[in-house]
Amino acid sequence: MKAVVVGAGFAGSLIAKVLGDNGFRVLVLEAGAEVNHDAVGRFRTALVKSPLKPYRTTAAAPSSNYLINTGPFAYSSPYLRMNGGTGTAWTGITPRMHPDDFHAADCGRGRDWPLSYADLEPAYRAAEWEIGIAADADEQRQHLPVADGYRYPMHALPRTYLDHAIASVVDGASIDGRELLVVGTPQARNGVPVNGYRLDGHQCTGYASCVPVCPENAKYTPLRTQKRWSANVELRTRCVVNRVHADEFGRVTKVSYQRYEDDTSGRHTRHEEEADVVVLAAHAVENAKLLLMSGLANSSDQVGRNLMDHPALLTWALMPQAIGPFRGPGSTTGIEAFRSGPERGARAPFRIEIGNWGWGWSAGSPDSDTAEFVAAGLRGKALREAVADRVGRQFTLQFEIEQEADPANRVTLDHARRDPLGNPRPSIHYGLSDYVKNGLLAAKRVSDRIFEMLGADDHTSYKPDEERYFEHDGEPLRYWGAGHGGGTHVMGASPRDSVVDQWQRCWDHPNLYAVGCGSMPSLGTSNPSLTMAALVLRTADHLVATCRTGPGAALAGPAGSWPPPR
Amino acid sequence: MDAFLELSAELTGFSADELRSTGLVEQYRALADGAPENEIIQLWYTGVWRGVIPGERAYVEGLAWKAAGVAAPGTRAPGFGSWEQRPARSAR
Repeated sequence: MKAVVVGAGFAGSLIAKVLGDNGFRVLVLEAGAEVNHDAVGRFRTALVKSPLKPYRTTAAAPSSNYLINTGPFAYSSPYLRMNGGTGTAWTGITPRMHPDDFHAADCGRGRDWPLSYADLEPAYRAAEWEIGIAADADEQRQHLPVADGYRYPMHALPRTYLDHAIASVVDGASIDGRELLVVGTPQARNGVPVNGYRLDGHQCTGYASCVPVCPENAKYTPLRTQKRWSANVELRTRCVVNRVHADEFGRVTKVSYQRYEDDTSGRHTRHEEEADVVVLAAHAVENAKLLLMSGLANSSDQVGRNLMDHPALLTWALMPQAIGPFRGPGSTTGIEAFRSGPERGARAPFRIEIGNWGWGWSAGSPDSDTAEFVAAGLRGKALREAVADRVGRQFTLQFEIEQEADPANRVTLDHARRDPLGNPRPSIHYGLSDYVKNGLLAAKRVSDRIFEMLGADDHTSYKPDEERYFEHDGEPLRYWGAGHGGGTHVMGASPRDSVVDQWQRCWDHPNLYAVGCGSMPSLGTSNPSLTMAALVLRTADHLVATCRTGPGAALAGPAGSWPPPR
Repeated sequence: MDAFLELSAELTGFSADELRSTGLVEQYRALADGAPENEIIQLWYTGVWRGVIPGERAYVEGLAWKAAGVAAPGTRAPGFGSWEQRPARSAR
């Protein structure tokens, strides 16, 4: 059985591993190049340390900066076309979705999944062991069902000093009838292993630069899974798949791809590869682009639609005392109390991340603080003390707001504007509904209350001349892109209104799979990579079970090394 | 002590010895001797010279981080769990 996997990021690397372990011959075609070895140095000398800055990309396979925005709001979430994909620059925060998120339409807005949380729970455990997640099951059970007896492969990471300071004030207090509790956030970062788990890479020693680069390889990236690939898996980088071909019965037969050697131009050669099964794992936007370019899988007219992200609201303040930000991971805890509930009928729910990197993302600290004090005339010791006091007390709350699946938010092809390989650039029409705006506003009000409880000095401000600024109910607001693109080949219960079935198989093509966040009917309020990984491992098992390598061939053991719930 | 170092110490609130320990005095003198005060301070504090970071060391040794008592992100590994401890007092 020959499988072609398009994309060597999170989803592609995982599915290639399971298929390779189970006797498939797997060819992985990655559009980007290998990871550059000077990523840490590039990070240090980048003026703006945004997520893609450390990584070298190629002219032939541009990353998200080639998207064309045409909608009322800017879609500003980056993704990376490089071996390892966006999973190289990701933050490594891995909460599970809330059970209600799987019936988002019933609870609030958007679309229901054809799966329940209980259906996916075993795959969550498999993903947590494959990736290597540090968390405490009992702590997670305070807000989510976790199988009895289950242990995460690593103990929860130590909390930050800031987390303790906030928990000591807010734990047990209430806002709008919700009891607040600071809860550890599962992390794809090496900590202390439990019995039976072997650390892969170094333990986290607190470089505080997880996004975009972990200098000591303590954070999971898909390259770790690639090192576990069997010899059945072959990776070819600098190969841009630009067409998937199907026969008259809808069976996919082969892919066409463009191979380049020169990273600075669109010069390329053309190739084809036949396959028994094709798995698209190229990112939500790129999967949709490829399906649209191929004219496949779109009998429902849903390909490219339902584009979602987490519009994030940042609020920032000073604690009354020094808490030592910029030490350790970006966030080790959150407040989970607002992730669902009856308000979901009227406004989007949200998850609160306690941000440990000062005002770095929200306001450009400490450079911005320095500039402010220098402009105010501070010099010498006074300047030094002002910076120490200001930076030492900074923290940020990051609210991840659910965005419901809306068919009007969509990816299409701009045939008039092409990339250097001659392929149409993706055009994005993106907006925020009142449901999302109400959620952003509710989050801001919760932030106000939390800052008040903490006695924190609120420095949040959103100004009309800033990007992604808007007003809602007369209040200034702003949103940030979280890098959580999804929904563009949405999963559903019927071929009439969805692109893939519960196994991420295209309804229109029995041997074509589109995997990743693009399949998700709702994103809930959690960072989606873990859920993507769980879905992918579930799909891999299904593929192995349905595409045996020959009559009576024995499987090479359970796919994805599912840990037993002990 | 040379004039640039003396002025830098006066502007930044860091002693000449602290500035020398960054290994950047020569490079910064060549870049910024005679420049306006705010540019000299910005260079020392943030490692940015007229919109460019002139080398990794400029970022690593940024005085804003030192004033706050932390390492610039992505430059030092204070150890597993160190983030849980009470921060050291930094300003002096």
